[in-house]
Amino acid sequence: MSVMINPRIDASTPVIVQGMTGRAGRLHTRLMREYGTNVVAGVSRRMETQEVDGVPIFATCEDAVKATGARTSIAFVGAFQLLDAMREAVSAGVSYLVTPTEGMPVHDGMKARELTLKAGATWIGASTPGMAVPGAAKLGFLPNDALRPGPLGLMSKSGTLSYEAGYRVAQRGVGQSVWVGVGGDPVKGLRYADLVPFYASDEQTRALLIIGEIGGHEEEEFAAQLKAQAFTKPVFALIAGSSAPEGVTMGHAGALVHGAHGSYASKAAALKSAGVEVFSTLEEMERVVCGVCKGRE
Amino acid sequence: MYLLEHDAKELMAQAGIAVPAGCLIEDPEQIPEGLPPGPWVVKAQVTAGGRGKAGLIRKASTREEISSLSTQMWGATIKGRTVNAIRVEQQVADASESYIALMVDGAAGAVRIIMAAEGGVDIESLPPEKIRTRVVPAEARALNAAVVELAASWKGAPRAALRSAGERLAAMFLAREVMLAEINPLFVRSDGSWVAGDAKVVTDENALERQPDIKALLERRAHAYPEADVKRVHGFDYVVVDPDGDIGLLTTGAGLSMMLVDELRQQGLKPYNFLDIRTGGMRGDPARLVSVLEWLAEGRSIKVLLINIFAGITELGEFSKLLVTALERVPQLRVPVVARLVGNGLPAAAPVLEVAGIRLHTDLDAAVQEVRAVLEGSK
Repeated sequence: MSVMINPRIDASTPVIVQGMTGRAGRLHTRLMREYGTNVVAGVSRRMETQEVDGVPIFATCEDAVKATGARTSIAFVGAFQLLDAMREAVSAGVSYLVTPTEGMPVHDGMKARELTLKAGATWIGASTPGMAVPGAAKLGFLPNDALRPGPLGLMSKSGTLSYEAGYRVAQRGVGQSVWVGVGGDPVKGLRYADLVPFYASDEQTRALLIIGEIGGHEEEEFAAQLKAQAFTKPVFALIAGSSAPEGVTMGHAGALVHGAHGSYASKAAALKSAGVEVFSTLEEMERVVCGVCKGRE
Repeated sequence: MYLLEHDAKELMAQAGIAVPAGCLIEDPEQIPEGLPPGPWVVKAQVTAGGRGKAGLIRKASTREEISSLSTQMWGATIKGRTVNAIRVEQQVADASESYIALMVDGAAGAVRIIMAAEGGVDIESLPPEKIRTRVVPAEARALNAAVVELAASWKGAPRAALRSAGERLAAMFLAREVMLAEINPLFVRSDGSWVAGDAKVVTDENALERQPDIKALLERRAHAYPEADVKRVHGFDYVVVDPDGDIGLLTTGAGLSMMLVDELRQQGLKPYNFLDIRTGGMRGDPARLVSVLEWLAEGRSIKVLLINIFAGITELGEFSKLLVTALERVPQLRVPVVARLVGNGLPAAAPVLEVAGIRLHTDLDAAVQEVRAVLEGSK
């Protein structure tokens, strides 16, 4: 059995930002720091500047790791540059990577997956809004309006739908323990099933919500994992795409249905058989999740 | 992107995979002179499975039969997709039907290779012991070794054909960075020679900029893939989900937009489109909004426009100004506008929308209620 993956960070976790001098890198570094994230270094191959807002810039990940001891990185680089940036980070000793970049080619995704598995590194992404431990720190750009410390573990493929879901329950006083946007790509780092052991053991998590969508097999894998380890906390799922036509990509490359494979019906059936309460509307999700979480406070 | 069989076969032929001689009909009144020698198979081109069972793959032995079958198939719909192209190709005689596919396996983060010496179109009903599978890294040596090993599960003609077709398909899978490449049936003759009876390829749009041949093919065939063409040309996703829909949607985020379409339909409402406009990509220019509003103006039944934006990063004040500008530039879309905005910069958005006479909601359910009221009032 492999070591349990623990995505938790806190306000002291040192973080490197790859691509920090770019437009997105600068913006999100500022927003993450305002939220409480301990950004200790930036990496920019071109080294246009020595520092950004007081954070030192290094030419390579290796230099940044040596100077700061950080083992966590978030990369704001282009889709065709992402695989190389990940190789650089892993070989420098980074063991926790978050990659918000959208549009990573799937074949690059397969190589990145092999790379991180072999190195024993945790990878969140690509196409992820990131992760957050509300009230402590975040890696990426989950919107502050939706973040609130609380008992609900949250995992999502979609960014926007999870913002809406998180916001609605937060408005009613139910916050999140650890929120991980696993992203909507077909090949990626962490998948729902990988984090089931973590949420089972995490004491601050009292219930678990996944925001899923049609396509792929991830919800089905998640259901199988819940059964395999007899997960005892309440689990909820909101699944988008029940009315999507077959063979049409609805925004996410992963959200493509071929026949019964990856359809709403197959996901709902698998999840229900694992004891998950499945919702097809936000309003229903909000009402039931808030009711259960408040009852367990 | 799921390619039509005709285009998938062109891609396969480029990779040295034998396909039956054939041509594409894009007007049922005009059967081309340059048909390959008959007899033929007439095949409706739609990106959905189950064509054979739906009567959309038929045999023909005269030009007249091709013509009448094409006319019959034209405009038929299967799983929501409409037939507006037909491939006519040579029949393959005296062959058995094998199966081979390579696909990205998301859970493994690797390539799954599947082979069967029999089965053909009924692969799903074959007993598991007749199907051979390996999952290997996306790398040439590993794929080839797996192809050789799997093909060796059989003897004689199927072994030779599956190995030879498999090696070429694997090379194409890697070189073109596709997500799925399937030949079903693979026609195998008794001497081990073979030809791809059907071809299914799903390309990776994310790799398009470094796949010039696929890019060229999609540009040439843009009219056959309207949704992918929007993405390629405009950089965002737009799909008409119901040509008779009366609610135009102006939304961002794939998941939230899909969910909104689902919820409206569950409530008995009729959304016209799916849209992930990606507000982050607008960069202060209303062009994207103008394009979308122009497309929505083509919706013959649209009676109301519903805007739903959850702004994590987008500045809603700026977005609202762009929206008002865009609405002024598309006067042909004369319908009430209902906006639901939440997030960054909301206070700045409120006065901008108020001046333009647009009701602003922060609660999505309340916005949908107003949409319903507009629709009922317009009856």
